[in-house]
Amino acid sequence: MTVLIQPFDKPASRWRGLAGSPQIASLVILAIVLVGFSLARPAFLSPLNISNMMAFLPELGIIALGMTLLLTAGEFDLSVGATFALGPVIVMLLAQNGVVDIGTALAIGLLVCIAIGAINGLIVTKIGISSFLVTLSMLMIVRGVALYITQGFPLKSWDQPGVFVTLLADSFELGPWRLYTSLWWFIALTALAAYILNFSKLGNWISAIGSNRNAAVARGVPADAVKIGLFIVTSVLAGLAGMISAFRISAASPVAGTGYELEVIAMVVVGGTALTGGRGTILGTIVGAVMLRAIRNGIVLVGVPGLAFNIFVGAIILVMLILHAFIQKRSFRR
Amino acid sequence: MSAGAEILRLDRVRKSFGNVHALKNASMVLREGEVVALLGDNGAGKSTLIKAISGVHPFDGGEIHVRGQRASIRNARDAMDLGIETIHQDTSLAPDLSIARNLFLGREPVTLPWLGVFAPLDFTALRQAATVLLKRVGISKKLDADVLVNTLSGGERQSIAISRAMQFAAKLIILDEPTNNLGVEETHGVLRFVREVRAAGHGVLFITHNIHHVFQVADRVVVMRRGEVVAERNVVDTDLLSVEALIMGVDASTLAKDTAAH
Ligand SMILES: Nc1ncnc2c1ncn2[C@@H]1O[C@H](COP(=O)(O)OP(=O)(O)OP(=O)(O)O)[C@@H](O)[C@H]1O
Ligand SMILES: [Mg+2]
Repeated sequence: MTVLIQPFDKPASRWRGLAGSPQIASLVILAIVLVGFSLARPAFLSPLNISNMMAFLPELGIIALGMTLLLTAGEFDLSVGATFALGPVIVMLLAQNGVVDIGTALAIGLLVCIAIGAINGLIVTKIGISSFLVTLSMLMIVRGVALYITQGFPLKSWDQPGVFVTLLADSFELGPWRLYTSLWWFIALTALAAYILNFSKLGNWISAIGSNRNAAVARGVPADAVKIGLFIVTSVLAGLAGMISAFRISAASPVAGTGYELEVIAMVVVGGTALTGGRGTILGTIVGAVMLRAIRNGIVLVGVPGLAFNIFVGAIILVMLILHAFIQKRSFRR
Repeated sequence: MSAGAEILRLDRVRKSFGNVHALKNASMVLREGEVVALLGDNGAGKSTLIKAISGVHPFDGGEIHVRGQRASIRNARDAMDLGIETIHQDTSLAPDLSIARNLFLGREPVTLPWLGVFAPLDFTALRQAATVLLKRVGISKKLDADVLVNTLSGGERQSIAISRAMQFAAKLIILDEPTNNLGVEETHGVLRFVREVRAAGHGVLFITHNIHHVFQVADRVVVMRRGEVVAERNVVDTDLLSVEALIMGVDASTLAKDTAAH
């Protein structure tokens, strides 16, 4: 898809086109970050450390996929972190009190996520309030519900083995690494999201809506329906990620995922997706997700004091954004 | 150029935005093989009228008939399905998409159509059709179908929007100030396109502030003032000064004296 949007035909300018594409620029930076940490601390590449990163990566990465599509359509969702907590909390409450079996509980949990996304989407599109305000309010509501129904205490998670536990949070050995099934979910969802955004009719609509909504509507694109659908997808992915996480650590906490909304948005924009809509890249998001995980992990290994840690994360994000801004300036007339 | 079958009939169409009555009483008829120029000063309601026809702002009252049948146009898709293609005044392109993707927005060629909105785009067809189209409009610079619309000039963007309307060879093509921002060559491209469309037997509704263009391509003028259609003339029966007088709502002789005095 990089090829598709690169018009240059002379070899020299094609090279410049590649270096100037936001995805490639992020890839280069990611390589530098990874090599840097490995040189500073060989333990960064140890099987244990890599396995650790791979356990966390899919959980935020899955949310980032939904967020990428949503941002490309020109909206975003601050309620994902809270949904990440509420989804599994509902599942565990229902399953543990023996109200329903675990399968039904999971289905109900996902239905609640669908409802959250649908309410976000309906208010944003039909009433016309900005997604910042709507999803900020939704963040508080959803987090509040999670805290209230658990009385603030984490729930012990489902520990009986079964098909759902296997599906969501089983782990297996691959060579020296210990990996979780969530990695497969992440890979499959990434492929699906990349296909939709770059190669499908729907992807064309998503980009067009984010780029110029009126133009898309004038061509008969059902912009509101697409946006509502994307809000739902994002909420469902956040809930799914929350359930994966809860099964993995055998606990569902009402405060899980606090601050994830900003971490996920950072991953997406660091990858090169425009916060203003119209331009999204799934490859970039993967790079952004790996980069932020690697940075968080590597900074600790390198021995930066825990409290100073966010200074570095923030600074690296800023550097990435400045880089993207330069690339934008160079390749567009306006 | 003698009147063919009726394509479009508007009957006392009304549209308000809150308490702004943008359209109060607009009635008009447009026939096959006819170019109608819709004239009127800024804010007269011309864009609102064509947005009603193209489904962007469905109107509040009145009737619209397409080819003799009463039509209900609730959204852009309805209008497109009735064979009405519109080039809006505020550019109708998505700047972050390529020319090819813009040309087929909303009507993407796909393989595996049973996948619905998830169907894969047919990139080969997309690019081929786009290249053919770009050749047809007189765009001075050679443009690649994969170029982002972002990087084009205003005139080039306008030409892209026009070639898109051509592609879907609609029954009725509506152009809202299509020659705005265009250079000499592109302006002639647009006027030539309007004649081609008429020759193909379609109808054209053409909004412009340039009265000279009216006399070059239009068969009939429809004049609006404050949300109402106030006059209608065959171009052969009128002249530039009379048309200007109609737009301003003054007497042609007064206007002539005015001009002479200067
Ligand atoms: N979306 C809207 N909301 C509120 N008022 C509107 C809207 N669109 C148009 N109007 C008002 O309706 C009236 C007619 O506007 P319209 O755009 O149809 O004029 P026009 O004849 O196309 O003018 P121009 O030649 O300047 O393009 C104006 O007073 C305008 O302010
Ligand atoms: Mg107008």
